[in-house]
Amino acid sequence: MLGFELSEPATLDEAFDLLADGDPGVRPMGGGTALMLMMKAQIFKPERLVSLRNVGGCFDGLRIDADQSHIRIGGMTTFAEIERSPMVLQHLPAVVRTMKTLANIRVRHVASVGGNLAHADPHLDLPPVWMAHAASIRIVSKSGERVIPVEDLFAGYYETTLGDGELIGEVIVPVRPEWTSTYVKVTTRSAHDWPALGIAVSANLQGQRVNDLRLVLSAALDRPTRLDAAENELRGSDLSEAALKRAGEAAVAEADIHSDSRGSAAYKQHLLRVHLSRAMHSLAGA
Amino acid sequence: MTDARTIRFTLNGAPVSVSVMPHETLIEMLSLRLELKGARESCGQGLCGCCTVYVNGKSVSSCLYLAQLVDGAKVVTIEGINDGAELDPVQQAFIEVGAFQCGFCTPGFIMMARELLDVHPNPTEDEIRHYLIGNLCRCSAYPEIVEAVKLAARRRAAGTTPALAEELSA
Repeated sequence: MLGFELSEPATLDEAFDLLADGDPGVRPMGGGTALMLMMKAQIFKPERLVSLRNVGGCFDGLRIDADQSHIRIGGMTTFAEIERSPMVLQHLPAVVRTMKTLANIRVRHVASVGGNLAHADPHLDLPPVWMAHAASIRIVSKSGERVIPVEDLFAGYYETTLGDGELIGEVIVPVRPEWTSTYVKVTTRSAHDWPALGIAVSANLQGQRVNDLRLVLSAALDRPTRLDAAENELRGSDLSEAALKRAGEAAVAEADIHSDSRGSAAYKQHLLRVHLSRAMHSLAGA
Repeated sequence: MTDARTIRFTLNGAPVSVSVMPHETLIEMLSLRLELKGARESCGQGLCGCCTVYVNGKSVSSCLYLAQLVDGAKVVTIEGINDGAELDPVQQAFIEVGAFQCGFCTPGFIMMARELLDVHPNPTEDEIRHYLIGNLCRCSAYPEIVEAVKLAARRRAAGTTPALAEELSA
C-alpha cells in the first residue's frame, strides 16, 4: 500500500471537517475490510482515511425502539455483533442466518454495516437482505440528516447516491411479525465464492396465500434491485406452480442479467427461475 | 499525519510502544518491527487465516487491519497463548494428532480453534468445519485438524490431559 494519512476523529463534527474538502482521495472508513483489499490491490490510493470508529452517536449501538416497532443498527456495528444479538435473532432471523454465510468470523468481527452499504458492490449479501426487510438508512451530514429506503442508496456498480460529506449513520429495520424472510446465496464455483446471484425474499403469507412480498435480486445486476413485475405476479395469489412459473418468467424479463465469470446470462436466468420458486416454497414451509 | 506515529498497546500481556506508519498493517508491524513470526501473511485477503491474531479478545485477519488501529488495544498472538512452560491444550492436541504437514497454517488454525472452543465448548463436526471456513491448509490436513479440535474440546471439558491412545479409542 502507498502512504496516506489516517485520522480517528472523536466527534462527528470533527469527522465532517476532515472529510470536507471534496477530494476523492479523502474517504471515511468503517471496519475498513473492503477498503484494505482495494488499497492493497492499488485500485484505491487514498490521501486521507477518516475512521468513524470513535464518532459515537447513532453510529454505535444496536437497539429496538421502546414500542418494538423498529430495530436501529448503528453504522459502525460489526457483523459479529449483529450475528450474536439475541434481539436480532428473535426479530430478524434471516439476517442472522445470512451472516453465517458471509466471509468468515474474522472478517465479521471487523466489517461494519454502514461501510458494507457504502461500498455498493452489487455482489454483497447484506444489502438485498436489508431491502427485502424494507429497511431504511439515516444519512447524516454537517447540514442535517435524511432517511431514505436502502434501495434508494444504490446508483450503480460501486456507486451510491450519497453526496459529499454524507455518512450512513444507522440502518433502521421495521419489525414485521407477520412477515418471514430468507436469503439465497447462489454460488456456481465453491460454496463461499461470491454469488452468481443473491435472492432476498420477504413475504407476508397466510398459508399458501401471498398477502404481500418483497423480492430483491443482487449480484447478477449492477445493483441490488426489486423485482416489481415478479412481485405483482405473486401478490394476492396462491403459491401455485403456475403462479411461481409466471413470477419466474416475469423476473427474468425485468432483470437485465449479463454473462460473467460466474455464469452465462442464460444460466443465471435459469438459476433465478429455480431459486425464486424454491425460496418462496421455503417461506411457506417455515 | 502521513508520518509515523507512536502507538501504545498490550502485546501478549506486556505493554509495548511502537512507531508505525499509517499504511502499515498489523501483520507487518508484528513480524517486521516486533519480530513475532508466528502469524504470517499468506493470501493477504483475509481468506486463509494464517495471519490470525486476537485484538481485544476477538480474532482478526492482521493483514487487513491497520497497525495504528490497535493503539490502546490488547493484542494476543500465537506466541502469547501459553505460559511458556506448558502448551495450550489446542497446541498439544495438534501435535499429538499430527494436525499438519508443513505447519505454515497451523498458528492460524490454533488461534481460531481456541476461539471456537470459547464460543462452542463442545462443537459438532459441522460447527468446527464452519468456524474454520476461513482457514486454509494447503497440505489438506483437515481430517486431523478436526480431530485435534475434538480432542482439545474433550480435554478442556475434562480439565485433564489423559493419554492420547485412551481418548482416541473412547
